[in-house]
Amino acid sequence: MSEALKTLIAACRNGEQPYQALVERVPYAQFLGIGIEARGEELSFVLPKADTNMGNPTLPALHGGAVAGFMEQAALIFLLLKMGEPRLPKTIDFTIDYLRAGLLRDTFAECRVTRLGRRVGNVHIEAWQTRRDEPIAIARAHFLLSEEGG
Amino acid sequence: MTVETTPKYTRLELCHRFVSSVRHSVELGIDVIDAQESGVRAQMPWQERLVGNPDTGVLHGGAVFAFLDQVGGLAAAVRIYPAFEITPTIDFRLDHLRAPAAKAAIICWAECYRLTEHVAFVRVTAYEKGKENDPIATGLATYMRMKIPSGKYFNKVST
Repeated sequence: MSEALKTLIAACRNGEQPYQALVERVPYAQFLGIGIEARGEELSFVLPKADTNMGNPTLPALHGGAVAGFMEQAALIFLLLKMGEPRLPKTIDFTIDYLRAGLLRDTFAECRVTRLGRRVGNVHIEAWQTRRDEPIAIARAHFLLSEEGG
Repeated sequence: MTVETTPKYTRLELCHRFVSSVRHSVELGIDVIDAQESGVRAQMPWQERLVGNPDTGVLHGGAVFAFLDQVGGLAAAVRIYPAFEITPTIDFRLDHLRAPAAKAAIICWAECYRLTEHVAFVRVTAYEKGKENDPIATGLATYMRMKIPSGKYFNKVST
């Protein structure tokens, strides 16, 4: 993991930088338009409504791939900040269940680390739009926590 | 109810029309190369804005996912052809076998290996252009068959 990223994570934790800076360094996260809101160290992720993330034009609905990409990125950042000594997570696998149509409106994601091992992290992610208890998708992912050069 | 009529378009044309109607897939630059009853092959070019790791230039896993999800849906569509249905994803598992090379275009081959009355079972393989035997990712997905007249879908889309 680059020194620049380590420095940035430390700055976010100290309050010297907004957590949003973590998505601003990732081109794909900016492409989707991901936002991070922080209350202390509690983070919530938002995918603001955007025509560029549209799938089915007749509903109109969000593209399932955009929702998945949003959830994966949320999990990556969430996991990165859960580690005392951060290591760059690399996605091993990502599994998603679509439960409801994602409409063209703001989408939110919440993450929970199910297990943080030495080499593998397991994260559960839920995405919702109108109500937290009515998720549009749930996902789980495994991340490889690599050492330098790994 | 599915209306079986003489198709007004080929499988490849169906895929092109479908992808061009989906804004996010257009943004990803997805281009369908081949579409047979047996499956669909499509390409996604490398784009700076799709990068996940700015230190290496490697595409984000989410961009690869969105690409494969789209092509997986097309694999269901070419099996359902000449009828037209919307096929939202029920679930999708993607394994990232290795990181793709930076700045390489990604090719996806998707096949619907089982089509039932309500569900399409699909597997996908992704590789860098020219490296078909060394995949970067494999996936397994199911799609729900929703029968609607194609005119109802495409007439609302300006292509």
